[in-house]
Amino acid sequence: MKIGLEVHVALPTKTKLFCSDLAYENQEEPNSNVCPVCLGLPGSKPVLNETALEISTSIANALNCKISENTWFVRKVYFYPDLPKGYQITQLDGAIGIDGYVDLNGKKIGIRRVQIEEDPARIIREKDYSLLDFNRSGVPLNEIVTEPDISNLEELKDFVEELRSILYYQGVNVNQELKTDLNISLAETRVEIKNVTGVRNLISAAEYEIKRQSAMIKEGKSIKAETRSYKEDTEETVSSREKETEEEYGFTFEPDLTFYSTKEIKPQNPVIASKVAKGLADKNQYSEKTIKELIMFNKRNMSLLLGVNKEDFRKAVSLIEKFAAFGIEDYSSGEFNSMLKNDITSVERPAFMSLLGREKAAEANIDKGEIEKWIRYVLSSDKNLLDRGLTDPKVIGFMIGQVKEKYQINGKDAADLIKKVIKDLQNK
Amino acid sequence: MTANFLQLENGQYPNLMKQLKNENERLNAFNFIDETEKTGKIISVKDNICVKGMPATASSKILRGYVPGFNATAVERLEKNGFSVIGKTNMDEFGFGSFGLNSEKPAKNPFDEEYIAGGSSSGSAIATAIIKDHVSIAESTGGSISAPAAFCGVVGLTPTYGLVSRYGLIDYASSLDKIGFMGKSADNIRDVMSKTVGEDPKDTTSLSKNVSNENSRVLYVIDNLMEGVDEGIRDRFESLLSNLANKGYKVEHTKIDYLKHAVPAYYILSMAEASTNLAKYQGFKYGFKVKDFSLNYNDFFMSARKQFGREAKRRVILGTFIRSKSIKQKYYEKSLVLRQSIIKMMHDVLKNGFIITPTMPIFTPKIDEVKDISPVEAYSMDMLTVPPNLCGFPHMSFPYFYEKGMPLGAQLITDHFNDYALLDFLSEWEKDFKYTFKEELG
Repeated sequence: MKIGLEVHVALPTKTKLFCSDLAYENQEEPNSNVCPVCLGLPGSKPVLNETALEISTSIANALNCKISENTWFVRKVYFYPDLPKGYQITQLDGAIGIDGYVDLNGKKIGIRRVQIEEDPARIIREKDYSLLDFNRSGVPLNEIVTEPDISNLEELKDFVEELRSILYYQGVNVNQELKTDLNISLAETRVEIKNVTGVRNLISAAEYEIKRQSAMIKEGKSIKAETRSYKEDTEETVSSREKETEEEYGFTFEPDLTFYSTKEIKPQNPVIASKVAKGLADKNQYSEKTIKELIMFNKRNMSLLLGVNKEDFRKAVSLIEKFAAFGIEDYSSGEFNSMLKNDITSVERPAFMSLLGREKAAEANIDKGEIEKWIRYVLSSDKNLLDRGLTDPKVIGFMIGQVKEKYQINGKDAADLIKKVIKDLQNK
Repeated sequence: MTANFLQLENGQYPNLMKQLKNENERLNAFNFIDETEKTGKIISVKDNICVKGMPATASSKILRGYVPGFNATAVERLEKNGFSVIGKTNMDEFGFGSFGLNSEKPAKNPFDEEYIAGGSSSGSAIATAIIKDHVSIAESTGGSISAPAAFCGVVGLTPTYGLVSRYGLIDYASSLDKIGFMGKSADNIRDVMSKTVGEDPKDTTSLSKNVSNENSRVLYVIDNLMEGVDEGIRDRFESLLSNLANKGYKVEHTKIDYLKHAVPAYYILSMAEASTNLAKYQGFKYGFKVKDFSLNYNDFFMSARKQFGREAKRRVILGTFIRSKSIKQKYYEKSLVLRQSIIKMMHDVLKNGFIITPTMPIFTPKIDEVKDISPVEAYSMDMLTVPPNLCGFPHMSFPYFYEKGMPLGAQLITDHFNDYALLDFLSEWEKDFKYTFKEELG
């Protein structure tokens, strides 16, 4: 079985790839962060955001790619309403990174290419029409193209986890929904599943496709080389009529841009969290799996664990877990180190807070809005509860218990908040 | 050295507008004339260059209704320096043509309406010919400034590629497009040009180089480029060379290999790029809008693109073919290599002197004589203007003779970034040459 991916990730820049509109902030109003460049108006010209080039260089470097000394762009021509210029500015031969790999417990998954490209507009599909929001048009992406080196579903999961962690340590927002094109061939023919959104869907699409192709092979049927798409509601892949091939894209050099030298760019040091986890596990004789869970997507945890010596390691791990369990996010490494001196094995939240010297602060820090939101959520998801509402002390008692447990606040505060929310809801 | 532009006093503007509109009925110089009163030094701008608040159609039906909300950098810089744009000049659709006929309103020669004005910057040449002390902002991809300048008896200067920002230019072929100037005085062109050139953060391909004026007394005639030039033109050109020799210029003859491939290489590259630049015209965001939203996207899209003229459609189809994967190497990539070789060979000549050629290989044709010729015949008319355009060398067409009342132009080419040497040559030429026009407004 051969699986290859084309993963698209949005880069952490302030502004878009070829103009100075904001890439991520203030996006609520559709078509508000747009200009002649990202609308593709006649007369406008793209100008490369150098920060996107720097970030891409670091990502390519973290994926063990050769960095092109002179990188350049191409036009990929196809027609779709979300593509304002009728072509996407992307990269091919002059891509920022080529011939890299991701090391998956000793097995290398090849990275064919890391390319910089612009995101098209967002299409909002309504029943009888579609709307276009160009706020997303021109958001900087990296497309990471792997070799078809992934050979089963488990490896696919591991690879995606590893890749996301590498990207996280390059500053990429890994909570974004990755858009992936997935190539799977169980036999000789290659099937491509286009535009799968999110990791969960990616795995589910792969799972379905593997089953589908195995079944066909078992039945002696031949598998058609085709493009398919993944349907989220039925969790299956279906044949799509897309016909565009490389022949038809008619790639050409993007003559509105130039060659960009990467000589002066110093890529950020790659951080490979899985390697760090292995090192920590070996050094401290601790479970690699637990360490991975803590540090794959958490810079602070990594730096805390790298900073403790072997005797304190076990304690440090459980301290990190405690902080997380008690919902304390904003602690400093100083606080962490002083807490490390205490025995906190069976300490509950109030005692923990007092050890931390934060019992007063904790009261002040209760986010009433957050609690209200949660109460509202619980109440509105059960109409029966709401209907009995204020009149039934059992309901209030039940809710007080819930809120106290979840938010560690006193009974009076909890009761006040609950009454307030119920009143608001009944008035609506 | 004094630049002198038409600048109208209170109350004179409406009168000029009236005259201009009358002339425009006859010659089709303008796609748009701005009647709001202007007080600055008057210039006109080719209709593929954006002027804030004025329609920009590039003479294409598909852009009808497009009014850009921003100025091209060239226009922005000129307005800041006291210039006012009176209107947008007619052209071949998107710059596709050498005769000025690929427009809904065919451009006519100001010396005789039966004759072509040349293209694609046809209207800029006519406007320059008919308005007193005028300078028009034009654009050349493969000869679109030189050709109409020669046919209309004005000077057309195409700068080094990248010297004038392309921001605000509606693209034909981005690696070849150059904004340039038409005028009838070296001083006026120098004045406008000096205020326009220079790096622009909005155009990546704009350059910050200083422009020099290293003058030379050596003029190279490229013998193999003269093959295919009309006998009569050769004859008049020989007289020009003798005249220049008498003024102290040394005329040398040389050859440059591969020049016969310049026209095909140019058309291959320019069509490939044009077919991508025209991909943005889809009929729903600006310009021509398809009204029928019940169509599926492909049909919707195709009904918009029916608005392209014949030549635009031809170039989209050929350009798309040229880019296709299986033949890209055969034509497109070979043309890129050819361009590099020709640049090098021309540079080897230009470092020792100017290159001089006739601008066009034929006398001004009548509209009826050329309106139905084949595309290949039409493209071959660019044989003399394409080499400097393909290679981004600055060049200038200037009038040197009147044949039965119609002007003839010659083309002077110099090395990259030596643009002002062309204007120094022109200043000297103007000492003994009298520009002749039928009438001048203003």
